[in-house]
Amino acid sequence: MANLKKLIIEPLRKTNPVTALVLGICSCLAVTAQLKPALVMGASVTVVTALSNFIISLLRKGIPNRIRIIVQLVVVATLVILIDQFLKAFAYDVSKQLSVYVGLIITNCIIMGRLEAFALSHGPWESFLDGLGNGLGYCLILVIVAFFRELLGSGTLLGFQVFPQSFYEAGYQNNGLMILPPMALIVVGIIIWIQRTRNPEMQENNQN
Amino acid sequence: MKKDINSNRHIFLYATILIVIVAVLLTITALWLQPFQNRNEKNEKRINILTAAGIPDVNAKNAALMFEKHCTSEFLLDENGDPTEGDEGLPVFVIDRQTSVIPMQGNGLWGPIWGYLAIAADGKTVVGATFGHKSETPGLGGEITTEKFQGQFAGKQVMGNGNPIPIEFDAITGATKTSNGVKEMIDNTLEKYSAYLNKFAERGA
Repeated sequence: MANLKKLIIEPLRKTNPVTALVLGICSCLAVTAQLKPALVMGASVTVVTALSNFIISLLRKGIPNRIRIIVQLVVVATLVILIDQFLKAFAYDVSKQLSVYVGLIITNCIIMGRLEAFALSHGPWESFLDGLGNGLGYCLILVIVAFFRELLGSGTLLGFQVFPQSFYEAGYQNNGLMILPPMALIVVGIIIWIQRTRNPEMQENNQN
Repeated sequence: MKKDINSNRHIFLYATILIVIVAVLLTITALWLQPFQNRNEKNEKRINILTAAGIPDVNAKNAALMFEKHCTSEFLLDENGDPTEGDEGLPVFVIDRQTSVIPMQGNGLWGPIWGYLAIAADGKTVVGATFGHKSETPGLGGEITTEKFQGQFAGKQVMGNGNPIPIEFDAITGATKTSNGVKEMIDNTLEKYSAYLNKFAERGA
């Protein structure tokens, strides 16, 4: 039981897909200019990683080795299209908000990474939890990055004004640089830096 | 009997069955959800038209009702700017018998952008505008759908002496291409509708 719990907790911390495995960086740059799309993207990726991990794990004994990547892609793409169709029908606003990123979920390296590294060699339930954990780990980083980018870049959070008007009158200005994609990389870099400083065992040995 | 899962026979069989299952699944879902999606898209269009014309509090729930109430006529224009009975032409939605809402189409940075421009009964003052996009970056080009961006168009003059005046507005920082796309889209649309809009000025004079 403790082991299963670990599957969810660990990806939030030491084996985080973004900061430790450095996967899924591409979408991290794109959707984190504001908090809301980041949350929606994080949630969608979590659902897709968990379900695709589950399905691939169920199929794992029958998947021919030579076409396993194609099979994985088909499963992931099908899930993403289904989710996209459902969002369009029942949550149109969310679907508009996500727009192009729904398609980008398919190419998110975390999903394929977990399928290859975990689901192909573990049971369905464990794989489901692993997918859930990794999705949440991705979501966590996305939210942290988006929090700082939206707060410092636009002065808002989830669209609500955070800094009062008097701040701006006193000469405070939003940092336009935070809105641009490179700042997402720098924020992710800072998060990795802090995490590695606090967990020395994560540092690669550069002595030799 | 243990089958060899890496034999060619198995691979072909496996791939075929998988694809058929997936295809059937997707087709069923698409057919089942189509009516819901069409309804959403239609409502979205109505909301955008009414919002551009300055009708407050339109949402997905009351869009159909409000559209029925406010849209007094909708017709197509021929090249001379007159309403035509034909199937082709430039569409116009008239809201509350005075505001003409004209649809716009253009290109943003990543994909198509579109919008609705509402013009008052004098044929030159903008009442409001709404924009939509397929794939602009959220937080950058995606900002064209915010009230802050759309709000600045009300009151602008777009026609002078029978010619469209190139539109000017505050662009979005970090989204130069999308902002240029919006400008181009509005200018092109006004060019196309200038014959229709000029008729208002002639009638008023």
